[in-house]
Amino acid sequence: MQGLYAVFRKEICDHFTSYRFVILFALIAMISLITSYMAGIHLREDLEALAKTRYPFLMLFSTPGAMFSMVQFVAFFGPLIGLVLGFDSINRERAHGTLIKLVSQPIYRDAVINGKFLAGVMTVSVMLLSIILVITGFGLAIVGLVPGVEEIWRLFVFLIISIFYVSFWIALSILFSILFKSIVTSALASGALWIFLWLIIPVGANVLANAVAPINAHEETQAETIIKNARIKEITSLASPMVLYSEATAAIIDPMLNTTRSITLMGPMEKLLSSRFQNPLPLGQSLLVVFPHLTVLIAITLICFAVSYLVFMLQEIRT
Amino acid sequence: MKLKQEASYFSCLLSIILIVTVCFIAGTCDPALGKEKKKDLPERSISVSPEYTGVIVSQGEDVSIDLDVSNGGRKDEDIELKLTSIPDGWKARIKTYSYGVTGVHIKSGKSKSLTLRAEPGENVGPGKYTFGIEARTADGKLTSKSHVTITVKEKKGEKKSKGINIITSYPVLRGPADGKFEFSLEVENKLDKDAIFNLTAKGPENWEINFKPAYEEKFISSVRLKSDQSQSVAVEVKPYPWAKPGEYPIHVKVSSPEAKGEASLMVTLTGNYKLDAGTANGLLSLNALRGKPANLSVYVKNSGSAPLNNIRFLSVKPENWKVKFSPEKIDSLASQELKQVEVTITPTDQALIGDYSVLLTIEAGRVSKSIELRVSVNASAAWGWIGIGIIVLVVAGLAFLFIKVGRR
Repeated sequence: MQGLYAVFRKEICDHFTSYRFVILFALIAMISLITSYMAGIHLREDLEALAKTRYPFLMLFSTPGAMFSMVQFVAFFGPLIGLVLGFDSINRERAHGTLIKLVSQPIYRDAVINGKFLAGVMTVSVMLLSIILVITGFGLAIVGLVPGVEEIWRLFVFLIISIFYVSFWIALSILFSILFKSIVTSALASGALWIFLWLIIPVGANVLANAVAPINAHEETQAETIIKNARIKEITSLASPMVLYSEATAAIIDPMLNTTRSITLMGPMEKLLSSRFQNPLPLGQSLLVVFPHLTVLIAITLICFAVSYLVFMLQEIRT
Repeated sequence: MKLKQEASYFSCLLSIILIVTVCFIAGTCDPALGKEKKKDLPERSISVSPEYTGVIVSQGEDVSIDLDVSNGGRKDEDIELKLTSIPDGWKARIKTYSYGVTGVHIKSGKSKSLTLRAEPGENVGPGKYTFGIEARTADGKLTSKSHVTITVKEKKGEKKSKGINIITSYPVLRGPADGKFEFSLEVENKLDKDAIFNLTAKGPENWEINFKPAYEEKFISSVRLKSDQSQSVAVEVKPYPWAKPGEYPIHVKVSSPEAKGEASLMVTLTGNYKLDAGTANGLLSLNALRGKPANLSVYVKNSGSAPLNNIRFLSVKPENWKVKFSPEKIDSLASQELKQVEVTITPTDQALIGDYSVLLTIEAGRVSKSIELRVSVNASAAWGWIGIGIIVLVVAGLAFLFIKVGRR
């Protein structure tokens, strides 16, 4: 424990003082400020939509401002934070020859990797929490919204999910930094994976869905085919943690959302009778809607870390 | 030669002009000829003639016959009229719309229409009665006589009330106590003058009885009728809502200072139909899990005064949902009786989480009652526990890893 705490403290110190982190944080803080400011302005103009919803405060996070909403922003750039924080954590030590020095101290080897991972998670938590608090402040100042208890709980859940999501990327980049001896290779590998999961998987899902259940634009397609197409697309794109995270947080931030599916088959009576009461879901139900997503997200984070831990522990590090 | 020819042309033209002129004059001459004809009227001529010289009426009925008095002479005349003979027991006079008439001024070639009105006294029996009418010019030089024979036949049927006649086609109406009854009365003025008749009605206590003109939505308490005119009056009756089934008489009185008439109406109440339904605690919301039945107790109460038969249950629900009632129907429910019905609502296992509206309708012939329920479909927490189990498993694996390969 002694060693773990020392590594943890040192790593946090490194993170917060490094130019890399300062530049990245400045960039992200700026983007999130602008996004929330735009969302706030947007909300103030569109008070009608604000009046309709039961939880207006959450709209600060779900309303797209200039380009994307706060939730989408974390989904796309959260990975970048995680990757930048972790891609050189082990192999830099190794390249500088400090890893051997480190383990020659009265510090266990698992304390090194645990400390590095926890420091990354801590850094990200501070970052996300501060961004959320800044946006909350913006909401109070620009729109005059005060969050209710339910909204605070939902934001808390959102924060936890976001921390797990970014932690996944930290774990992934640490794994790469263990696997690849060269810093450049691990940076490229993490970047490539990020782009693959972000851009390639949705396109691939589209292609696969159209191959299995083709929708012809010229002919009328059966409802079942359209549903099948949409389901295949959704399930395939769930391979991307970004999609996983986006769907999970969408249901948490928007209490009206009662399914993660983009399209559902609904009878006319069902549609009519379900639109009779437009009530937001309680938080417990929202959580149950996206519970599979949350489970998978937390599980892959832990598994990814477990794999990097295993690889690092079994690796020969003296050479 | 040439001159002669011209002369013959001229004469020819002249003759044509002459013919045309003659024709023209002949054409315009006709009215002049008519005037000549009028001049052919006798110096003085008057006549009086009734429309019908003999009529048959039933006993006790008044008679009105048009009298045509005409002046056939060239001079305008003042004509005196009088009835030369009136049979015993009759009252007769010559009148216009409102006045009795003894003399009339008639211009040359014109005629005037008057009325001979004869009213039999109470003791006038069946028989033939002759009325003599005489018209005389003012100077007494010309007279015209005429007569009317009235044959009175014995009257059959009920004795009619004097001065007013009330006829109702439907004197008995039946229906539920919460309904509205409308009788139609035909009121006829048998007096020989205009009169205002007061309308009053006496019915059971707490009943509301109003008079209305036919086809009009206003309440009246009197009606003005001209002589011999009839008017239909509606009697609107609202029973006391909690009145027991049975027969209720209503007496309608139509009266003026000179005459009065009565009519007996009857309302037969069959009892009213009313249905109440709801839940025991008044809560109309329900939680249900996807694909799992949810129960609700609904009470059905007959709050009317008549028994309800064959009560059925219907529901409006989303597709693929199941709504079951137990019992499926109630054969009979006595007045003020209360019965409990168990409702089982099963959302489809594909249902989305959220609030749905489910409408339950309880139908009993002519009355029905609907209850709208808010059914909140919740996701089953079972998958949540499975998810937590998976995470616990992963954490356990990590812990195992820490112990197994850690501390190196």
